[in-house]
Amino acid sequence: MTWKDLSKRLKRQMSEFLELPGEIILDLPKVVLVGGLQLIVENHRGILKFSSDAIHINISEGELIIKGKDLRLRSVLPEEIWVEGQIKSIAYGGDE
Amino acid sequence: MFVLRLLNYLTGCVTLLVHTDTPEKFINLAAGRGIFIWDVRMPAEDRVLLKIRLSAVRPFKHIARKTGCRFEIYDREGLPFLLARLSRRKALTAGGVFFLLALYFLSSFVWFIEVSGNRRVADSDIIKAAARAGLERGTPRWLVNVGAIEKSIQEQLPALSWVGLYIKGTRADIKVVEKTLAEEKQAGPSHVVAAKAGLVEDVLVLKGHPAVKEGDTVVPGQVLISGIVPPPETAAPPKEGEQGQQREQKEARPAGEPVYVAARGIVRARVWYEEYGEAELVEKGRRYTGRVVTRLCMKIGDREIILKGPAKIPFALYTEEGFPKKIPAWRNLTPDVELITLKYRELQDYILTRSKEQACRLAKEKALARAKQRVPKSAIILRERVEELVVNQPENVVRVRAYLETLEDIGVNKPFSIK
Repeated sequence: MTWKDLSKRLKRQMSEFLELPGEIILDLPKVVLVGGLQLIVENHRGILKFSSDAIHINISEGELIIKGKDLRLRSVLPEEIWVEGQIKSIAYGGDE
Repeated sequence: MFVLRLLNYLTGCVTLLVHTDTPEKFINLAAGRGIFIWDVRMPAEDRVLLKIRLSAVRPFKHIARKTGCRFEIYDREGLPFLLARLSRRKALTAGGVFFLLALYFLSSFVWFIEVSGNRRVADSDIIKAAARAGLERGTPRWLVNVGAIEKSIQEQLPALSWVGLYIKGTRADIKVVEKTLAEEKQAGPSHVVAAKAGLVEDVLVLKGHPAVKEGDTVVPGQVLISGIVPPPETAAPPKEGEQGQQREQKEARPAGEPVYVAARGIVRARVWYEEYGEAELVEKGRRYTGRVVTRLCMKIGDREIILKGPAKIPFALYTEEGFPKKIPAWRNLTPDVELITLKYRELQDYILTRSKEQACRLAKEKALARAKQRVPKSAIILRERVEELVVNQPENVVRVRAYLETLEDIGVNKPFSIK
């Protein structure tokens, strides 16, 4: 645990120092929300649950829970997911 | 995104209806295998609608078997399906192809011939000449030799000085320029008669017999140089010698009969012109100020809609001028829509007060200008005289009469027939 924490801290400091985007160095998801209509998640790890009112997306640190109405996946690519519909809430959840 | 959609259309894509309640499983599997999935919807609890490319159906079948779910093809779209459908309906495809071929084939003929630029030569003559040259309705375009046809039409119609042929699609435009023909010379005998009244100053006879002499007063229409040359007087018999012989050869006809010629000569005479001019001492009137407002209106039926320009005309006095543009009527449909450009010019009342001299000068100028308008260009103005007309009662107007005296050729040709 300590070693993991240390490497994480080091990486964050590196990215801050070099002004590199965090999603590349730290392997974090990049979430772009366009109004309440469209959500783009880059750097995901797959879909955990899919239904028309909730989508759970696996990310490096737990999961991203999107709730709404008439949700649909506009496209699913290995690195990118586009969600469309009436998005009501986004939450981070998971085991951590 | 448009390029992607076009690519999907070209390669073809299918909408699948998958019966499952855990769609995330195969979505992850498919995404991992590089199958592009889009538009994933869940219309019901255990049903998923999604789109994949046509080429991805076989791998997807494999995934479906692996995850243990059933699927069916819900919808197909794209070019491959269209082609498949067309190959089933051969007559329709053949009809479409036939239509395109016919359109292409028929557009390679000349169907319309238009002639422009001619005034004296009739359209039909030019079209006939073009037909003889090898250009008529229905001539294939590949047989039209523009240069040769232009040349041939010009050779056939000597009244044309230039012929241009332009083939635009199925239309052939023949543009011509006509020759300006010189005035035809008069063939028959003629007199020289007076065009105006005047006092004959000198007579120069080139051909014919003089009918007037210096100092004569003539009236319009009077014969000045006669085309009837009387026979040489019998009292003066032809002299023996060179001159006499020449004359005998020239006029080898029985004595006593006149000779008819086209008389030519210059008869210069003094001609007088008289014109009247007036100017007001106090002039009232309206004139344009030069300010113009333009308004663009669309007229639909009885209603006018202002497209551009002010709603209210900012002038107290103005004139209105409209330039309507209408869509041309087609068959029995006359469109009720008109585009009108309206021009409003501002007017202004004005009062101008002149002194007696100013008014007099203006009146003189007017009278002289009017008189000079009637004088031909070749005339020499000998004298100008202006006379003020004095009336007993005091008036607002100054009246003036101008007299011009000129020296000019008053002769004009007038043919006559021999009885």
